[in-house]
Amino acid sequence: MKSIGITFLALQLCLTLTAQEDYTQSLAGIEWVKVESKAEIILKTHNEKQMRIKGKSTSKIPQKANGLKLVGSGGPDNTDVGFYVVKEGNNLIVRNLRKWNNGSAEIYLPANQNIAVTTNGTGQSDIRIYGFKGEIEANARLNGGIKIENVSGPVTANSLNGGIDISFTAIHQSSPITVYSTNGALDIKLPGNTPANLSLGSVNGEIYTNFELKFPVKDDLKSISVHKVKQAINGGGVSLQLKTTNGNIYLRKE
Amino acid sequence: MEKLTDEILMAKVANGNLDVLKVLFERHHKHVFNFLHKMSGDRMLSEDITQEVFYKLMKYGASYNNGKFVSWLFTIARNSLNTHFRRVSNTTENIETIHHKILLEEEQEKDYSDLYFAINKLDASDRELVILSRFQEIKYDDLAEIIGSTPGAVKTKVSRALKKLKTIYLQNS
Amino acid sequence: MEKNHIVELLPEYLDHLLNEAQKKTIETHLKTCNSCSQELNALKALWSAFESEKEISPSEKLKANFFEQIKLEKKNSPKVVSMSSTAFQKNRNWTNFFLKIAASVVLLVGVYFFGKQQQGQISSKEIAQLTNESQAFKQTAMLSLMGNKSASKRIQGVHFIEEFNEPDEAIVRALADRMLNDENTNVRRTAVEVLSEFTSSEIVKNSFIKALKMEKDPGIQITLIQVLGKIQEKKAAASMQYLLEQDDTQPYVKEELELVLPNII
Repeated sequence: MKSIGITFLALQLCLTLTAQEDYTQSLAGIEWVKVESKAEIILKTHNEKQMRIKGKSTSKIPQKANGLKLVGSGGPDNTDVGFYVVKEGNNLIVRNLRKWNNGSAEIYLPANQNIAVTTNGTGQSDIRIYGFKGEIEANARLNGGIKIENVSGPVTANSLNGGIDISFTAIHQSSPITVYSTNGALDIKLPGNTPANLSLGSVNGEIYTNFELKFPVKDDLKSISVHKVKQAINGGGVSLQLKTTNGNIYLRKE
Repeated sequence: MEKLTDEILMAKVANGNLDVLKVLFERHHKHVFNFLHKMSGDRMLSEDITQEVFYKLMKYGASYNNGKFVSWLFTIARNSLNTHFRRVSNTTENIETIHHKILLEEEQEKDYSDLYFAINKLDASDRELVILSRFQEIKYDDLAEIIGSTPGAVKTKVSRALKKLKTIYLQNS
Repeated sequence: MEKNHIVELLPEYLDHLLNEAQKKTIETHLKTCNSCSQELNALKALWSAFESEKEISPSEKLKANFFEQIKLEKKNSPKVVSMSSTAFQKNRNWTNFFLKIAASVVLLVGVYFFGKQQQGQISSKEIAQLTNESQAFKQTAMLSLMGNKSASKRIQGVHFIEEFNEPDEAIVRALADRMLNDENTNVRRTAVEVLSEFTSSEIVKNSFIKALKMEKDPGIQITLIQVLGKIQEKKAAASMQYLLEQDDTQPYVKEELELVLPNII
């Protein structure tokens, strides 16, 4: 019995030791987690009920900074992993303080958490989101792209210059999905049997799809030489809007 | 290359010779940075926006209309800063301003003089005029172009702003 | 020369911008006028503060980052943006009317009967009941949706206008408010598209013109320009001209403006 206790203690000690690298935060009473970053940001799911920000050994802190705190334009580092985290009502604001060239970060959350992610980087500042079941809002305001995989909830995504890739495992019928970009291409993958009301539009780009839209088939992915398409698939369903001004649209059947 | 005017260099950039932008960057980035820093009091933000300004030169160089380069540069800098502040006040980011104030107090030894604090007490449009005309030594004609006004009106505005500044500055020192 | 006039000239005097005659007048005046001499001394103090203000330097990283950006930009050769005519295809699809109502039921139930949000719990009887609900009821639902924290829900609220044959002013104003002030770009863009069906309304026209001045997202700017161009709204010319003259307006937005402007003036 005693030895089990000791093993348990040792295990816990190990856990706390490794956990020192990471930052964790309770999500009690939090409806939305709002992430802001100038650098690439990766969101993944885990089975814990809290938020975990990976302390990365790669984003090195200069030796001289020992014992000092990072001061970013968005607030002081209150996490020791280069983030400023604060509760605002039902929102948890999570702000990455590092710059685009060494600030890439990974955040882990429960799969059903609602998340809103904004990047505003002049350099590489992609948003990557994997496996969430809640609502997702992603906004790449400057040069970053957006990649969202393995999701099913309502998605509201917008980018200025980067492309947006999303693959859905299923589509919740509760509220609309909108994916808009100004200069980026949209690449969206859906299960073939998804009921939805499609609305696709590109001002200067082309639209390609292998869904059965009522247009003559040329290739496997056919190009539709109009700039707006509105059509129901599988009997119609939730509104799915894909719009880009200067990019192409690729809508794929899974 | 170093002796060519800004305008000729910018025309080269507009034609796709992006390396020329390095020369323009070396010549002007400090001025842009100092302007933004005096306006915002925030070093990091000013660096970010300086980078954004030069990025815009590169990206939208084609829209350069052969006017005076410095006017154009500061017009972009000014717009970028305004856009930033509008964005900040539009969203939930009000905390940012609070921290910016704290930062001010921590850093004041290093970066901020009595004059800076006096200038900071002016409202934003006066502050901008004082900074651009006194520190960046931009002439009334160009200043008029930047803020979208006439040289005569700008001259009056600048002298009023200087009068206010003088009062504030002398009271405090 | 009048004394007030002398005071006005002192800054230029210090900046050596005056001609010899003016300079002389001022110097003679200063000898006899105490208050003007004091004013000059005050200005001199300020001027020397300007002189001694240090220029600060940005970190080395700024240069390194920007030069790296140039390198990147050179690698990604510039995209050629071509303009092609835009076919407006107006073709509304109502096949999912039932589903829309079902979705709205979920929402109304959420608003009025707390805790009973699950779709499964709603009987078909309730749906039938709600499809007959009054305009006012729908309006409440729409407004409450548009106030939701979720952008997707707000978009749903914006689309709700399609349920009304003739939306009243309160609804139109609420939509215009979303278009002008929503923090989420997609909500604003959806509001523009939805409102573009109601361009006969003066409120809508005016808020389009206002949005054109305020909006920074180029995608939305283009949509606004196209809509205003289509209805040949003359009052929009000034806003368009303004946007055309802004330096941070993107080149392809300017092209669109140059295409549309001549047709409405």
